[in-house]
Amino acid sequence: MNKAKAKVVKSKSKKVLNVLITYCILIVVAFIFFFPCLWLILASFSKSGSIYSFDGFFPKEYGIDAFKTLFTDTVMYNYPKWFLNTLFISVMSCIFGTLLTILTAYCMSRFRFKSRKKLMKATLVLGMFPSFMGTIAVYLLMTQFNLINQQWGLILIYSGTAPMGYMVQKGFFDTIPYSIDEAARIDGASNFTVFVKFILPLSKPILVYTALTSFTWPWSDFILPKMLLQNRDLWTVAVGLMSLGETEFARFAAGSIIIAIPIIILYFCLVKYMINGMSAGAVKE
Amino acid sequence: MTKVLNKVKSFFVGIPTKVKNYFKSIPDRLKKKFAGAKEIITQGNSKVGASICCMGLGQLLYKQWTKGSMFILLQVAFILYFVFTGGADLFGLFTLGQVKGDAWFGIAGDNSVVMMLMGIFAVIMIMFYIAIYIVNVKDVYATQCAEDTLKEPLSFKSQAASLLDKNFHKTALTLPIIGVCIFSILPIVFMILIAFTNYGGTTVPPELVDWVGFENFGKILTLGQFAPTFFKIFGWNLMWAVLSTAINFFAGIGLALLLNKACVKCKAIWRAFPILAYAIPGFITLLGFKFMFSYGGPINYYIQQGGGDAIGFLAVNSKWTARLIGLGVNAWISVPSIMLLATGILSNLNNDLYEAARVDGASAWRQFIKITLPYVLFATTPVLITQFINNFNNFGIFYFLRDGVISDSYFLANNTDLLINWLYRISIDNNYYSIGAAISLIIFIVTSIISLTVYILSPSYKQEETFR
Repeated sequence: MNKAKAKVVKSKSKKVLNVLITYCILIVVAFIFFFPCLWLILASFSKSGSIYSFDGFFPKEYGIDAFKTLFTDTVMYNYPKWFLNTLFISVMSCIFGTLLTILTAYCMSRFRFKSRKKLMKATLVLGMFPSFMGTIAVYLLMTQFNLINQQWGLILIYSGTAPMGYMVQKGFFDTIPYSIDEAARIDGASNFTVFVKFILPLSKPILVYTALTSFTWPWSDFILPKMLLQNRDLWTVAVGLMSLGETEFARFAAGSIIIAIPIIILYFCLVKYMINGMSAGAVKE
Repeated sequence: MTKVLNKVKSFFVGIPTKVKNYFKSIPDRLKKKFAGAKEIITQGNSKVGASICCMGLGQLLYKQWTKGSMFILLQVAFILYFVFTGGADLFGLFTLGQVKGDAWFGIAGDNSVVMMLMGIFAVIMIMFYIAIYIVNVKDVYATQCAEDTLKEPLSFKSQAASLLDKNFHKTALTLPIIGVCIFSILPIVFMILIAFTNYGGTTVPPELVDWVGFENFGKILTLGQFAPTFFKIFGWNLMWAVLSTAINFFAGIGLALLLNKACVKCKAIWRAFPILAYAIPGFITLLGFKFMFSYGGPINYYIQQGGGDAIGFLAVNSKWTARLIGLGVNAWISVPSIMLLATGILSNLNNDLYEAARVDGASAWRQFIKITLPYVLFATTPVLITQFINNFNNFGIFYFLRDGVISDSYFLANNTDLLINWLYRISIDNNYYSIGAAISLIIFIVTSIISLTVYILSPSYKQEETFR
């Protein structure tokens, strides 16, 4: 009798310990992920801009000067212009990139045409080349087409290469049962109608996922804009923020926060779709 | 272990026979391909012949005006392109230019690199043309067959309508394929070809570039300048890829399992912190961490407050501190995405399995080892491979953390650089284009061999149907 009681107590204390350890780890993890963000937020509210005038992680004096200068002092660092440039490029690439990727994935998932297997293998192999192996070629190509220092050049590249990553979306379309297509086709719908009227409404998670990834890529890319946009006024925020030194630390922090906030809000609103989209593509090969 | 090795061995031993069979099957497959062509040539009437000679002519003879004139327009456009630029471009691909520019005498000269690029472009255009040409011949032959069997030939209208129905994939895939051809395939082919030229160094336009065969690969593996750096960087690159993938993968899955525990309350709040890290654009994170570990940064501030000397964590003379910081920062960036992925996978996991296990009296630990882990590993293997490749080619981390640092005994690189960073420095910053291209080919070969091997060994390859 006593022994059994002792066992219960023991297993209970074991459980409490288990919960305690779990929460300790969680707190540490939360701290690790949150602290750098907090540091940047604090830094953006520092009165002096330089990193040398900080007390360790904390600014000596607080103020909103960094945000003010970000939008008023635009001679050297034209942040508002950079922001608009980034927004324009990202939105355009998002629209075209999503459209092309979804179309590719849908075709690869639903149609059994002759060169399908070949195309799939080819994209797999192409994906293994180092991502910017062709940068020099892209640069030369853009000079040939007269698209250097043009935002449309970047948009073309982003949306043109987007269909290469269609695998996740194809995995999602594979999970939508064929019976839906068949039923619609018996009713006399063409493949185009099936796609627009039946498949698209069902694929909201993957649409959101695709749109989000094809928006954030140009939003935070720095290699292509750095190479193709040489005019200071055409820069994107990524290139612009890279040009800020340690003495402009507060301005960097403020600029980062403004560009990070829209993305963070988007992610938190759409996190459910993200999880669905990612795992749908992963379980299938 | 030996089982695993045997599997890999049997795969690679099998390659030669596979290649041999592939080449052996070529005549048969060609015969099959040309059977259709032979039929068209022998059976086709004069109108088909007209279309073979001139695209669209046969269609016009059949009084299919819209279709015929469209084909003829395409034909004219292609001929104009080929006469004015395409032909010369194609020729230029082989010669890479013969006239050297001379500003003194006012000779414009050939730009070898642009000639090569436009040459590849011409090849792609010709391939498109051939595809359209074949469509044209097949179309007119189909009309003939329909007429012979007294059927109504497909009207242009119904053919156009089929592009939204039966042939919807052709319409939908046109734009993506053109985009990928121009912005992915063309650049990659260009770089592969560049690896076999002497482009770079002092040999840049207006100097003429030439084909040199495998010289560049020889240079990388033997020449005093490149070889030691290459092998040092390659070793570190492999180690980095394995370490960072393992860290990110297990930390991410561990975190997801931790958050999935029944005793954790308010999961959404705990999950929010990693998602926050995930949502911040990568370059901001990297620049932020660079500031954090810089000489004037907060870490060094506390070291100095404690009476120590400022440490150059990322400076020239640091090696392992910089590498460890790189691993940590990479984990900070990538762990959340793996966590999200694993969370999604865990939520798909069937609860019946656990019920059954509990009835059989399996402990929590055994359930974890026997059900959760195999399932998660199975479902994430494809991601593991892409993670590995992405980490192998992780450009951003050390590009931001150690920009402009060059170590002793390395040629144009530092001791944390990965091959891809070296490639960037060599080709974009220092103009050694052909060497850079050769390095990227080597990277490609290594990554593809590794990912193929991992794929063969992975549970998702061995037992595709287990969890479906």
